[in-house]
Amino acid sequence: MSDKQEFEPRIIYILCSWCGSGGGETAAAHHLHYPENVRPYRVNCTGALPTVHIIRPLIEGADGVAISGCHPGDCHYNDGNFRARRRVALVKSILDTLDLEPERVWFRYVAHGEGRRFVDTATEFNDHIKKLGPNPLKTRSDT
Amino acid sequence: MNNKGAILPAEDGVESAVIGWLKEALSKKVFDALLIPVEVPAGDSFAYLLLRNPALLENASPLPPVMPVQGAKAISRLTMRGNGSKRVAAIVRPCEARAAIELTKLEQAHLDNLWLITVDCPGVLPLSDYLEDPVAGAARFAEASQRWDRAPMRPVCQICHHFSMPASDLHIGTLGSAEGTVFVIPGSPKGERVMENLGMPLDAALDDWAARVKEMEEVQRERRRQAHTDLKAGIAGPDGLLDVFSSCINCHNCQRVCPVCYCRQCYFESAALKLPPENYLARAGRKGALRFPPDTLLFHIGRASHMVLSCVSCGTCEDACPMSIPVAQVFSLLADRAQETFGYVAGRSLEDPLPLVAYEMDELHQVEQPYVETYHGLQIADCEQEVQDA
Amino acid sequence: MLEGLKINKGAEEAVRDLLRSLLESGRVSGVLALGRTGGGNGGVAYSLFTDPDAFGADGVALPLLPFMPANAGGLLSRLTLKGPLAEPVAVVVKPCELRAFIELVKRNQGSPDNLLLISSTCGGVYPLEVGANDALEERLPGYWEAVKQGELDSDIRPTCRACVHFVPDNADITVALLGEADLDTQCALYLNTEKGSAFIEGLEDLQGTPLLGELEAEPIQRSRDQRAAYREELFAGVEAGLEGLIRTFGRCIGCHACKTVCPICYCSLCYFDSQDCEYRPEVYETELERKGGLRLPPNTIFFQLGRLAHVSVSCVGCGMCTDVCPADIPLSTIFSKVGDSVQALFDYQPGRDVTEEVPLMTFEEEELVQVAT
Ligand code: SF4
Ligand code: SF4
Ligand code: SF4
Ligand code: SF4
Ligand code: SF4
Ligand code: SF4
Repeated sequence: MSDKQEFEPRIIYILCSWCGSGGGETAAAHHLHYPENVRPYRVNCTGALPTVHIIRPLIEGADGVAISGCHPGDCHYNDGNFRARRRVALVKSILDTLDLEPERVWFRYVAHGEGRRFVDTATEFNDHIKKLGPNPLKTRSDT
Repeated sequence: MNNKGAILPAEDGVESAVIGWLKEALSKKVFDALLIPVEVPAGDSFAYLLLRNPALLENASPLPPVMPVQGAKAISRLTMRGNGSKRVAAIVRPCEARAAIELTKLEQAHLDNLWLITVDCPGVLPLSDYLEDPVAGAARFAEASQRWDRAPMRPVCQICHHFSMPASDLHIGTLGSAEGTVFVIPGSPKGERVMENLGMPLDAALDDWAARVKEMEEVQRERRRQAHTDLKAGIAGPDGLLDVFSSCINCHNCQRVCPVCYCRQCYFESAALKLPPENYLARAGRKGALRFPPDTLLFHIGRASHMVLSCVSCGTCEDACPMSIPVAQVFSLLADRAQETFGYVAGRSLEDPLPLVAYEMDELHQVEQPYVETYHGLQIADCEQEVQDA
Repeated sequence: MLEGLKINKGAEEAVRDLLRSLLESGRVSGVLALGRTGGGNGGVAYSLFTDPDAFGADGVALPLLPFMPANAGGLLSRLTLKGPLAEPVAVVVKPCELRAFIELVKRNQGSPDNLLLISSTCGGVYPLEVGANDALEERLPGYWEAVKQGELDSDIRPTCRACVHFVPDNADITVALLGEADLDTQCALYLNTEKGSAFIEGLEDLQGTPLLGELEAEPIQRSRDQRAAYREELFAGVEAGLEGLIRTFGRCIGCHACKTVCPICYCSLCYFDSQDCEYRPEVYETELERKGGLRLPPNTIFFQLGRLAHVSVSCVGCGMCTDVCPADIPLSTIFSKVGDSVQALFDYQPGRDVTEEVPLMTFEEEELVQVAT
């Protein structure tokens, strides 16, 4: 248990350039903090996020990947978030079938103005991953 | 699917009946050309031949014992740049027809002038088993398929539940037919037109065929479920999975022969993954070692994420793997689960949109992480603490 | 006479010690060598090791294993494609892998800078099939017994039994294996270059006595004669002429695995997979009119002849192509046979010398008069 408490996860937080990142900007404007080990990774639109960009970090050393795009109806490209939801469902299905802990991937909408929700997501995900423990794939050299 | 078909006499066996029927279709100019497996000159395998000369049908086989090239690949090569002007009948296995349908939706094949013709499929032998002794292999195949015994067939053929008519234009039903006959069943208006042009009235009831197919399908479904449960127990988790792929040599042949992996340049062979030496050394440093070439697991899981919604469980990948890794079994499991998530069946119809092209607004809420504002208070307390500390 | 080091340990242990202490001392930052993968269920792959423990007694590394899951020449190219190494890395590879790498360096597909090249006098490797069936382990005692006598296990790749370049050309360090009767207790390392000596100089854990010896001793020469004879035999079995080609390649499924694993085939997009080889339906229809029938996918023989034209001059006869071919076509025999004649024509030996230019990248004004009519 103590091991897990000390463990500092490496987390990738994938954000669309509009709402997700906007949430981050709002959080910053309000001086809200989120854990430093959560690294934002900005993509134009979550609808343009290749599945491989979710899978690769999980093999190469991340303990979790969170994804935030606009709320339904707010996507700046109309339907990018719906497309992203399908891709996330696909990746989760694959991880689930292979027993590779699909719970290491989170998908949650965050609006531009929702600095609080952004920070909460980063923090909650970080705690959630801490509870899960380190991603066993990241130490395997034969991947 | 039509509930009426025609009866074709087949006293000399299914193969010669089908060949005879195709010859007639060629001579009546119902088709301009056929795409059909033909024995290669050395007699030790089969290859798809596009032919218009009926004499070339002498060594053709609508049900060869092996599937060296996935038929959808042949169809795609012919029609990837558009519909041809010749009417071509392609005689393929059901899984090949299903892959051709996926490729059409992926805009890698055009079927306007191509008729997919399938036969109730007993499976095919693993290519390597057959090549050890082609003559004995052919005999083994003939004997086993006579009895619908799938034991000598490829592992995915043993658990195939889409062995009969998928969405082909014409199907030869060998199940449930009276001795010395087979059914010819149109599956599309295009197929019906051919029947008409051949003067084959649709006057035979198909109940016996349908009942036998259904019965066998249920047996196969159960086998599939069982096999997938067993497989999953062996490959689950990082340990299981890395064991399965421990001898993978990264040749990517599974991808190259896969009908639905159509990319001219695969992402996993592209410049995207070719990195400066410092990158490899850093990754090795993190893990103590880096398997080289790197990205074996990324290739397999990533490939699955690209194409598994269109995977037709055809087994071609497994046949072509030099390390005998059960790739097709793993992919068939992933495919079933993923396709289920979207209510999609690869190759079922040309109309169902590809799952990653379409979406519904109200769906898949299980992947959305609910926000319960639990972290609100916690954060405020933290911030206040920080302000105080400062 | 060659200078070297005699170590009072079995070859396997000595090489492990060497690699471990190279890593421990920080003289190299990584080692590319074979090792076990998965939960020890028989999987073997090359890895870039940074942890010295891999070379300890229970470590996963298997530097001398007679197996070739990939031609390491291609891997070294992959490692150094985007630029030379900034830190030294040691590699343990077979002679044909080293030759392939030299050919790739000549084609600007890699850089030897900062690589410490370690190779050995090679007794051949087992076909991939043996690894796929988890049967490698049980073959090893027999393999090493044969190697000690300067003989070859009859189950190794046919191309290895027919290989006459089994003494490495450009290694910094050569581990003497073939014909070394005391392999289990003694290890002779030949230091062929200053680089090789410098890396070893004063390395702790690697105490040995200086050695002045000759690699080209009787067992090596005998093996070369035997292998040359087998080579003739193997080549004699290749069916010649267009009919022969059609019969041989009739089974080909067009997967192009042979080119994917070939170290010399380095193009990121092969011409035969490119748009140039994707045709409009009319092209097939015209062909159909002309011939009555045509194979699909097309270009079966064209691909083989084209690939022969592209690579035979540099083919190192490693046997990867044969091993991966799902249609069991004896590709490396054909490629080596054609390679021998093309290489003889240009008096060229792939992998011999990194400064020697690839014949098709250079020309002389006064040459090849026989091809002009
Ligand atoms: S997978 Fe099914 S349809 Fe395909 S060859 Fe096997 S049994 Fe026939
Ligand atoms: S064909 Fe087999 S060895 Fe090659 S990449 Fe696929 S799984 Fe690995
Ligand atoms: S992944 Fe394998 S089984 Fe699935 S379609 Fe491709 S070749 Fe067939
Ligand atoms: S793995 Fe992906 S990128 Fe590669 S060929 Fe298949 S679909 Fe294309
Ligand atoms: S590996 Fe064999 S089957 Fe594949 S293209 Fe090469 S020769 Fe043909
Ligand atoms: S052609 Fe075959 S034998 Fe020659 S270098 Fe390439 S893989 Fe090796």
